[in-house]
Amino acid sequence: MTFILPIGPQHPALKEPEFFKFEVKGEEIVDVDIRLGYAHRGIEEALSRRNYKHNIYLAERICGICNIVHSTTYCQTVEQLAGVEPPERAKYIRAIIMEFERIHSHLLWLGVAGHQIGFNTLFMLAMRDREHVMDLRELISGGRVHSATNTIGGVRRDVRARHLLTILRGLNKLEKYAKYYVNLWRSDRTISARCKNVGVLCKEDAIKFCAVGPVARASGIKIDVRKDSPYGAYGALSFDVITEQEGDVWAKGMVRLREILESIKIARQALKELPNGTLRIPVDLKIPPNETVGRTEAPRGELIYYIRSNGTDTPERVRVRTPTYGNFASMKSMFVGGTVSEIPIVMWSIDPCFGCNDRVALVDSRTGKTQHLTWEEIKRRHP
Amino acid sequence: MNSKEVAELIKAHISDVKIVNDRCLFATSDREKFKDLLRTLRAAGITHISTITGLDLGDAVDVIYHFDCRPTMLNLKIQLPKDGLKVPTITDVFPGAILYERDLMEMLGVKVEGHPDPRRLFLPDDWPEGVYPLRKEFKEAPK
Repeated sequence: MTFILPIGPQHPALKEPEFFKFEVKGEEIVDVDIRLGYAHRGIEEALSRRNYKHNIYLAERICGICNIVHSTTYCQTVEQLAGVEPPERAKYIRAIIMEFERIHSHLLWLGVAGHQIGFNTLFMLAMRDREHVMDLRELISGGRVHSATNTIGGVRRDVRARHLLTILRGLNKLEKYAKYYVNLWRSDRTISARCKNVGVLCKEDAIKFCAVGPVARASGIKIDVRKDSPYGAYGALSFDVITEQEGDVWAKGMVRLREILESIKIARQALKELPNGTLRIPVDLKIPPNETVGRTEAPRGELIYYIRSNGTDTPERVRVRTPTYGNFASMKSMFVGGTVSEIPIVMWSIDPCFGCNDRVALVDSRTGKTQHLTWEEIKRRHP
Repeated sequence: MNSKEVAELIKAHISDVKIVNDRCLFATSDREKFKDLLRTLRAAGITHISTITGLDLGDAVDVIYHFDCRPTMLNLKIQLPKDGLKVPTITDVFPGAILYERDLMEMLGVKVEGHPDPRRLFLPDDWPEGVYPLRKEFKEAPK
């Protein structure tokens, strides 16, 4: 006999609302169903009602953690649409800020992963060290999180020569910490006990369900948009695509931690080879009817924007596929066969990023049936 | 595969092709030919569908399938008239499309025939039937 275990929309693991319905047999998970949409804000529709300039700010607010990669992808796609090429210096500055974003996103992942497995010291350490990269972002853009660096046709903020030394010093510190974490992830017994052979996504399933980003790379699939289809400055920057073979939570963590080291390498090279020149070029934002697709490698995987223009200063349609959405289809394979105690860390292993609604799920303890109630029904039943 | 190779591979099944650059092309097909096209892609080792976009044109709906042909992005377009908004499911060939097809069904009202799990994905359970938020005629209720 199986029971339904509802988790969410408020979570033990996530800071954002999403609803998971687990079917469990004793401690073992036999099925899982996911309800999305608790943070659905209708941004795609909103994007097609505002002009190209306003949309930069809206695209940036799709996700707080990966705001730069959203605005970069949006701006790159509009630039493609308008047939302009941003200046080289702008491309390098975008790459530097995007790599800083990857570093802070992966460190945040590490911290919360530590918290999920009851290793709170690791959470404290990771959050402490993440401050260094936040400081660097603030130094360049003036914002710790939302940096508002991008604009269509280039960037709005420069990497100043007098800041170079501070940035390089900061990167040295981050490299030291990242090496320590890679070593810790490899050798610590608590981490091994909680993460190895847990939430395994085999290579076949990762390919079948089109997993992206670190989740796919941890299952041995060598995909990375930065390498496969270089955009911006990435064609001129050298780095390795990190893969692991195991597909478990440990491998997903290892891929992210080793990627921090690669990001530091990219940032250093970009700073060293930063070309001189203007930061941005003017772009005529009355774009004739056209359509195009732009993609980038966000910290969580492949991010896609499809934009169609119609001759006005407002796009006809903007479609955004975020990496977490791409990874949901493969979540079932990670959970089924595992145990209830693994739920928080396995959920966190894809580094989910959701954005809220007004319903609850009730489970009848006698029949095990789940019911969804609207807020109106709850008010009616429990005035 | 680059854009030209992809265009060559699928040329029997498409009516129109537009090569944007080396790593991006748009192709147009129709409901009848497109299942064969998918099998051709699959046989050529293409396994990754990045997403499905639906777009209301007023009297028709464009459905665009975005395939990653490493490194080329193949954007396969199918135009459906408003009185025949139906496409066959592609989950039998590309299982990764399962959520994108649910998204397409609820947001634009395109019926995906043979979908294994045609429930809603993002919209709440009390969302009215037959109201599709990404359609041109959609008006949100006044606050």
